[in-house]
Amino acid sequence: MAIADAGSSRGHIPRRRRLRVDLTTPTLLGLPLAWLAVFFLVPIGIVAAYSFDVYSLDPGPHSFTLTAWRDFLHSSVYLRLFWKSVRMSLTVSAIVVVLAYPLAYYLALSGTKRKYILLLLLIAPFLTSYLLRVLAWKVILGNQGVVNTFLFWTGLRSPDHPLSQLLYSRFAVMLVLGYIWLPFVALPIFVSLESLDRRLLEAASDLGASRLQAFRRVTLPLSLPGVVAAFLFVFIPTLGEFVTPSLVGGANGYMYGNQIVDLFGTGFPDWETGSVLAIFLLGVVAVLTVVFARFLQPRQVAAD
Amino acid sequence: MDVALSKNGARLLRVFFTLVVVFLYAPIAILLIFSFNKSAVPTFPLSGFTLHWYREFLGNSEIKAALETSAIIAAVSSAGAVVLGVLASMALTRRFFRGKAAVSALLLSPLVIPYVVFGISLLLLFHTLGVPRSLLTVVIGHIVISLPYTILVLVPRLDQIDVSLDEAAFDLGASRLRTFRSITLPLILPAVVSAFLIAFTTSFDEYAVASFVVGTRVTFPIYLYSALRFPSQLPQVIAVAVVVLILSLAVVVAAEVGRRIAERRFASLEID
Amino acid sequence: MDKQEATERRLSREHLLRLAAAAGGAGLLSRADKAQAALDWLNAESGRLQVLDWAGYGNDGGQAMFAQYVKTHPKNKPQFTYMTNESDALAKIHAGLKPDLFRPYVGWVKYFATSGLVQPWDPKLISNFKHLNPFMVKAGQYKGKQYGIPDDWGFDAILYRSDKVTPKARSWGLLFDERYKGKISWFDDLEMLTIAGLYLGFDKPWRQTDAQLKRSQKFLMSKKHLVRLIWSSETNLWEAFGSGDLWIAYAWPNDWVQMKKKKLKVVYMRPKEKPIAWVGMFMLRKGSPRPNLAHAYVNAWSSARSGKWLEDNYGYGHANTLARPSSSDLLKALQLTNPKAVTEPSAHLDRDIPRRAVYARMWEEVKAS
Repeated sequence: MAIADAGSSRGHIPRRRRLRVDLTTPTLLGLPLAWLAVFFLVPIGIVAAYSFDVYSLDPGPHSFTLTAWRDFLHSSVYLRLFWKSVRMSLTVSAIVVVLAYPLAYYLALSGTKRKYILLLLLIAPFLTSYLLRVLAWKVILGNQGVVNTFLFWTGLRSPDHPLSQLLYSRFAVMLVLGYIWLPFVALPIFVSLESLDRRLLEAASDLGASRLQAFRRVTLPLSLPGVVAAFLFVFIPTLGEFVTPSLVGGANGYMYGNQIVDLFGTGFPDWETGSVLAIFLLGVVAVLTVVFARFLQPRQVAAD
Repeated sequence: MDVALSKNGARLLRVFFTLVVVFLYAPIAILLIFSFNKSAVPTFPLSGFTLHWYREFLGNSEIKAALETSAIIAAVSSAGAVVLGVLASMALTRRFFRGKAAVSALLLSPLVIPYVVFGISLLLLFHTLGVPRSLLTVVIGHIVISLPYTILVLVPRLDQIDVSLDEAAFDLGASRLRTFRSITLPLILPAVVSAFLIAFTTSFDEYAVASFVVGTRVTFPIYLYSALRFPSQLPQVIAVAVVVLILSLAVVVAAEVGRRIAERRFASLEID
Repeated sequence: MDKQEATERRLSREHLLRLAAAAGGAGLLSRADKAQAALDWLNAESGRLQVLDWAGYGNDGGQAMFAQYVKTHPKNKPQFTYMTNESDALAKIHAGLKPDLFRPYVGWVKYFATSGLVQPWDPKLISNFKHLNPFMVKAGQYKGKQYGIPDDWGFDAILYRSDKVTPKARSWGLLFDERYKGKISWFDDLEMLTIAGLYLGFDKPWRQTDAQLKRSQKFLMSKKHLVRLIWSSETNLWEAFGSGDLWIAYAWPNDWVQMKKKKLKVVYMRPKEKPIAWVGMFMLRKGSPRPNLAHAYVNAWSSARSGKWLEDNYGYGHANTLARPSSSDLLKALQLTNPKAVTEPSAHLDRDIPRRAVYARMWEEVKAS
């Protein structure tokens, strides 16, 4: 499908010889790769250097040391916080995938004519401002929030006894994260169900399989890549999340991402420990991505 | 008989779908309602209709400055991301070279980096190089973030286009650049516009990375975040929120509709 | 706004003359840093004054504090960046922010004075300086140099809802009271370890030994499950306290004032272990290109008029001894007539923590636990 490799190898007759800016592979790839090298890979390398104290905020000579890493791996506090964040993200991802699957299934397989309009309706909230959607929940969940004042107003609850643990809790963080990611998650599942060959289901039906059997034996396995992709696309960003917990999480909803931010901010700057936490998170994410890479083919996600 | 869904199953799913859509839009609707509510605190019962908050927002120079800053950053960074994205996508779809898998993995890898990590990475880079923070530092970060999205939009479109068109032009003596300009670019233009819009909305809404590298001119999300922590400005912020929300919904819908129309037209052109 | 700045920055004729003079001068100066200094001088005192301050002290409600400055320097209006605490300010400066001045509190004077990030002020350029409380002026000095210009002052103490809470004692212990699980708020700062040390009865809470620190940390960790919110911005506290999500909080006098405005029944309690007192200290960043503007800005802040406004509206004391609030209640509550209200025997003046990094690390661990 693609044409030959280097421009010079083809016998073409350039009309204007002076123009030698041609779209050879290096020309095409040079700029994007250089950009990512300088502004993506090198910065990550610098973080790694900080984590080993090769670079440091403190003036004076520095040498490679593993101290911060050793402290981190021996600190039950940070690892426990990481584990807590993993559990929160896992729960959120699992719930939204389970909720999104039937939505995608409905759109892809119910034969509705307006499926693209409905899909747009579903994912449109995802494309609006993230912070505004968090704001909406803050307005809703507080002690004097929409939920509680509505309950007072309708007499379902007395103002002296509001539902009080809604905001500033782990629950609030998970609710808001689920709300934010749900529309997005439906997309990769929809794509994988959409590309499913319906004749397979017809064949299953002809062979006497019930709908449930057909679903379990054919539809589900074939849509699994979409499900895994969806899961990862929620799990990875929520694992490093810090904005939502800082706004609705309170003391109990504090996550690993908040700790990284604080080590670079409100906590007396400890860039070394902060870098260790960041590189550790990046490492976990990288391993996950590599392990599940085959589910993350670009076409899988892009083909909306 | 439908093989995928029984009648009742479809009905059940339709109800579920409706419920989820209600769940997704209810908070947005609540913001909308309270933006017209007289009371400064968003609580029930409603206390009467007003346009006061919208007027206040129009008079608030800080909000307007933040919106302007974000618009500039979004425009520049998405233009940058689209240029890089077109280059990279051309290479990925039109060229053979060794290590293509690795290159495409690298190009897409900003998709999966936690933004908090990328934010501090840029912070440390600029700190180490002694680069002062400004609009430019945010633009640099946003180009990195948006690049994979543009590639994800452009690659499928480039795949659809018949390579023989390029080859024909090329064989007729057009340079590759010229081939690109007069053949490829017009054909992928809808996807380019779509990529630009996706990059634009990504940048316009981006808080995490910007929060680490922003200078004294704050972006809209950064303004919004601090306003979220300062409830005194809440009603105004809700009013802005509604305006931005509706605008971005309109842009998203328009982009999608436009893309479909354009693609249909180009599809028919190609058949001709 | 920025267009305006651009216009201001455009080289005027006067500027060109200065440029010529500087170029001539730079030729005479052999060393590069001197040439740089000449260039800095050239840029000096133009553009907007860059202020790094706490929320509520900028264009978000604190305009009265620097109204005089804006009047006399309309071309160099302050531009604000907000800090949530001193560590945050420090991080921002490390990360490349270049404020002309910023405002840490008294416990940080020594840290910043020895950090190389700030330079001393010239009190002669601040006409209101002579009216400032001498005790606080002294607290802003390090090795005889005036690194900090005192401005607002107040206390860290405990705010609670008297209709919901009955304290067992007038003590910091209320922040750790099991009966009010889920209704308590702490402050996001390593100072919580100092407070724990005070409560546990250590004689030097700012200089705890390793064993003491360990105990303080363990204590905080064991009580953290009671805490609903660890606040880092006052307005966030007001929102959560005002809506009834919180009943008890580590708080500043202004928080008490704000909650009274919301018609809540609140008490601002001075614990028997004594509150911790603080004094805000303006600091001038070393290398600031606008030192004269910064002095003028601080002078506006230091006037009796600004001081009175601060007392009336924020419920804080002000270092200008001529400033008097309208309300006598406040006068009494803050002991505004007592020149030593911020120190023994009425309060502990916040002080330098030599092992700040260790404290910080332990506090971060408390939050993570």
